[in-house]
Amino acid sequence: MNEQPQPLAASDPLIADPIATTRPASLWRDTIGGVLRQRSAVVGLAILSLLVFVAVFAPLIATHDPDGRLLGVEEGVTQRAAPCIHLLGCPADEPQHLFGTDGNFRDVFSRVVYGARTSLVIGFAAIGFAIIVGTAIGALAGYVGGWLDNVLMRLMDIVLAFPSLLLAIAIVTAVGASLINALFAIGIVSVPIYARVARASVLATKESDYVTASRALGESGFGILIRRIMPNSLTPLIVQGTLGIGGAVLEIAALAFVGVTGDLSRPEWGSMIGLERNQLFNAPHIILAPGLAITLTVLAFNLLGDGLRDALDPRLNR
Amino acid sequence: MNRSPKWSPLVALAATLALVFAACGTAATSPSATTAPATPAPSAEASTSPFEGTVYPETGEAPCGVAPYTGQLKKITAVDALTVEFQLCGPDAAFLPKIAFSAFGIHDSDYLAAHAADGSYLDQPNGTGPYTLKEWSKGNRMVFEAFDGYWGDKALTPNLEFRWSDEAAQRLLELQSGNVDGIDNPGTSDIATIQADSSLQFAPRPGLNTMYLGFNNTIKPWDDVRVRQAIAMGINRQQIVDNFYPAGSTVADYFTPCEIPFACEGDKTWGFDPTAAKQLLADAGFPNGFETKIQFRAAVRGYLPDPPVIATEIQQQLKANLGITATLDLQESGAFLDANAAGTLEGIFILGWGADYPDPSNFLDYHFGSGSGKKFGAPFKGIVDALNTGVASADPAARTAAYTIANNQIKENVPAVIIAHGASGAAYKADVKNAYASVFGAEVFATMKAGDRDTFVFMQNAEPLSLYCGDESDGETLRACEMVNESLYRYEVGGAASIPSLATECTANADSTVWTCKLRPGVKFHDGADLDANDVVVSYAVEWDTQHPLRKGRSGAFEYFPGLWGGFLNPPAS
Amino acid sequence: MIKFILRRLLVTIPVLLGIVFLVFALARLVPGDPCRAILGERATDAVCNDFIARYGLDQPIPIQFGKYLEQLASGDLGNSIKHSRPVTELLIERLPTTIELTVLAMLLAISVGVPLGLLSAYRRNSPVDVGTMMFANLGVSIPVFVLGLLLAFLFAIVLKDTPFSLPPSGRLSSGVSVEPLAEVWGLESWTGPPRAILDFVSGIYIFSGLISGQWGAAADAFRHLILPAIALGTIPLAIIARITRSSLLEVMGLDYVRTARAKGLGERAVILRHAARNALLPVVTIIGLQLGALLSGAVLTETVFNLAGVGRSLFEAISGRDYVVIQGFTLLIAVTYVTVNLIVDVSYGFLDPRIRPS
Repeated sequence: MNEQPQPLAASDPLIADPIATTRPASLWRDTIGGVLRQRSAVVGLAILSLLVFVAVFAPLIATHDPDGRLLGVEEGVTQRAAPCIHLLGCPADEPQHLFGTDGNFRDVFSRVVYGARTSLVIGFAAIGFAIIVGTAIGALAGYVGGWLDNVLMRLMDIVLAFPSLLLAIAIVTAVGASLINALFAIGIVSVPIYARVARASVLATKESDYVTASRALGESGFGILIRRIMPNSLTPLIVQGTLGIGGAVLEIAALAFVGVTGDLSRPEWGSMIGLERNQLFNAPHIILAPGLAITLTVLAFNLLGDGLRDALDPRLNR
Repeated sequence: MNRSPKWSPLVALAATLALVFAACGTAATSPSATTAPATPAPSAEASTSPFEGTVYPETGEAPCGVAPYTGQLKKITAVDALTVEFQLCGPDAAFLPKIAFSAFGIHDSDYLAAHAADGSYLDQPNGTGPYTLKEWSKGNRMVFEAFDGYWGDKALTPNLEFRWSDEAAQRLLELQSGNVDGIDNPGTSDIATIQADSSLQFAPRPGLNTMYLGFNNTIKPWDDVRVRQAIAMGINRQQIVDNFYPAGSTVADYFTPCEIPFACEGDKTWGFDPTAAKQLLADAGFPNGFETKIQFRAAVRGYLPDPPVIATEIQQQLKANLGITATLDLQESGAFLDANAAGTLEGIFILGWGADYPDPSNFLDYHFGSGSGKKFGAPFKGIVDALNTGVASADPAARTAAYTIANNQIKENVPAVIIAHGASGAAYKADVKNAYASVFGAEVFATMKAGDRDTFVFMQNAEPLSLYCGDESDGETLRACEMVNESLYRYEVGGAASIPSLATECTANADSTVWTCKLRPGVKFHDGADLDANDVVVSYAVEWDTQHPLRKGRSGAFEYFPGLWGGFLNPPAS
Repeated sequence: MIKFILRRLLVTIPVLLGIVFLVFALARLVPGDPCRAILGERATDAVCNDFIARYGLDQPIPIQFGKYLEQLASGDLGNSIKHSRPVTELLIERLPTTIELTVLAMLLAISVGVPLGLLSAYRRNSPVDVGTMMFANLGVSIPVFVLGLLLAFLFAIVLKDTPFSLPPSGRLSSGVSVEPLAEVWGLESWTGPPRAILDFVSGIYIFSGLISGQWGAAADAFRHLILPAIALGTIPLAIIARITRSSLLEVMGLDYVRTARAKGLGERAVILRHAARNALLPVVTIIGLQLGALLSGAVLTETVFNLAGVGRSLFEAISGRDYVVIQGFTLLIAVTYVTVNLIVDVSYGFLDPRIRPS
């Protein structure tokens, strides 16, 4: 970097250049190209694709029924058995379990595989909810301004003042422990971030020339907001959202770990760890396998989010 | 050495107050009190002034059988300095096990008078026990030191430290890393590890408890006795005990564990018979099973060592053996108990009971007796009648007959499916002498010696809530109280029999309605005061009478007292 | 500038009121009453009705809220239902643990994170940079509870009986205690708030041990906090390293840095003398913002390492339905957060005049 410091402040293609929005095809080609030039994004995307693949084809990849107790079903199965892979020298008379078995004689590998579905779906859904609600609030606050801006953003400040995990725990405890409620709780505590991002980009473009031009051409206020202003918020929201999904996966695992997601039969990484955390010393595989899965998933989203940020909007780089 | 700001001045105040009280003599005098102490009184003020025994209630006696009073106690009298008489409303076969219970520890009446009002006795206890409290760093640890003036054998290890963690793995980690000398309740799968480790020893605790599956018989489909019987026959209890309970646990054949006298009379409950069970379900109109919930809480108890894993196993068995599809509904402990008491749990619920004192009435009456409420829906009259006969009788033959009927009725009507008696235990470093685990979880650490170390560190599941146990019911709290406070009787080390402690003996009259207890002479409280009969009267009175001026406690609920003695004097209007 | 501070203060008032309301509403929305949560299965309905009435929990919620506000206005946080003691007393007991833990974690995060970030920006794209950023990415991705469990396993069991062995839980070894300052300094006659403050400071074992010369006890307390601080500090460490790096890279592209470079200054001098100072500005902001995240993490860290801090107590209060503790503790945390951010905002306004509103 000694010779070629990146001209970071020189251009801000997405927010400052209105023409960009009129050339979507080229924009997306540029974007994808930019993203693929980022090493971390490529790695993140690769891990993420793998995870999505695993989640979608879970029934084909899983070696066992994730909920099926093998006691009395499979010859020689033992409780909390260590991983046994025949190719790696595990005796052939022991049943093969890639990640071993858990306290209920279930196959840990299959549960981890199915767990990808839960984590990814909850992660996407929670952040999707947060982005939709947050963007609506932030855009409204930024565009209308005045007292509405003040009230909405103060509300967001209130939510931000609580440690997010504690607030999520309190919400789930209040409305009842279930995975869906946990999803909304994580969504709700994430709303302020997206509201702030959306508001900031609305404020940045509200007074720009092309918006003024649209207004002069008689376009309605709402139309301007949707068609002219919001597209500019897309980039920061996508970047923030990608990073946010990683955080959401961590949070759902933490909620499950402390046991407020209800429904324990569901294969879910955090609750797999939470339920068997007392087995760390005699059966570490039950904790390591889902722990690794969580780490990998969060890592994928973080790498991808970082890459997107570097590629799309260098100025957000703080 | 307590760091809380207000104690040191308070101790001074207390001492002053105690002196004032001593000078004035006890305020309430009773006509029935005898004049001179029967034995040479060791304390200074008692030797100069005659003992004036109190009686409670101060006038008359408790209105036995007259609503709203539901209690069994009629009157408590300090006959002389070392004699207390308990008059009961009716015969009580379980009197000795009850007075041995740690919620009925004896406190110094003067100390109570000085420290009850501001609640300072909650963390500044003054008992007669082998250890005195030295420091309670709230949230972190509790440190005791041996009491020099103890009436019995002095504690073998001079210092005792309590620590706590609700994670079995963490307790084991602390034991293995050498930071603590003993831990309570190692995890089921860790017991083998402990037994294999030559630097550790495992002390088993027999399962004086019962785990059961309950359902509300007023909610469909549990209103059909065939469905209830089918569940009882469709659960492979042996498989559950073999795979998910620690070694030493047993399949439960009766609701009350058989170590308890009169527990195992009559027929054993249903055996595992999936074919017959499926037939019964089909007869009841559910040939393909039905959908329900398994409701439980995460609290680990001796009867339920690993709640989610055992709940999952039951879910799997219901599916495999009976075709019943159940979802797992893990509830917060308080909300769960609330719903249970209100009779609103609509699925199968997993609960259990640990013995408070060794008598079938402690197990059966709470669950199926006349006062059992809506936990299982409507009580069964046959069971209720048999239990009422059993508890009121002191004659062994009559009790045997009554509990035979009760157990047969429980089998026939299946108010609950009896599953297991869960063993647990404690683990210690190998060099700890006399290590054991009490069936009631009431280990006497004074009799253990921690190698050549001068501090014995014990790690239990949770922090004690206070050190005044008249108003406590949680086992972790009771264990700490037992270091400091003693009751008239206690349970023998390593067994369930009640043996004398602060009393040298308690004897009953012919129909066991009047019990007379002789106190041990020369017993001193930690602050130097002497134990006398008035201390016993006041200690019981504050728990008994909701209007007693010295009644304070932590929560003010005193929930054990009505549980064991039938009810409060002056019960709160509901 | 004064106008700016005043405006920020004014804005804070409705936020604080909102927090009080939300805290109260959330605590009351939690289903189940505290009676059986606290008394257990032995409590009968009669006992529970009496209990609920004694704590005024049978009154209409608006009336309870009114009483709560009245109480708050007089500086009273109420009495814990479970412990039957003032919440302020509980805070004096529990807060020092959390302060000690979070400060140590933050010190670790800053003292390792900033140099790592600078180094990896300076050696951009070198193996050092790639390694650091991989570590940083992993650091923010690994759940606190997994990392905590692994650390405890490694340092307490695997390394047992080696010089690297560390205690997996608790605050002090048995037999070791940090004498309270009041006793060390002979101030036992103090009462009231000064004494409470003194006891509060005494609870911060490392600090009070150091200022009163109890070196051994302070060192023991420190040893107990190493693993929790690493578990808790890893995420902020990773975030700080990343932000330091990217912020430095951004500043290096600016004109004045190019000028400095054009003057022929060496790269190291450019970074340390010119770029780093400005690059650290956003880092300061992030440190303030990380406070909330640290408290979230503290719930899990304190659970894993068995520390009786604010986070764990709060979690226990939520599951135990101890409304008064939930209210008192969350209020304190939220107010702290708002205050810290106010300070960050204001100081940022001082440092960077562009932020100040016209």
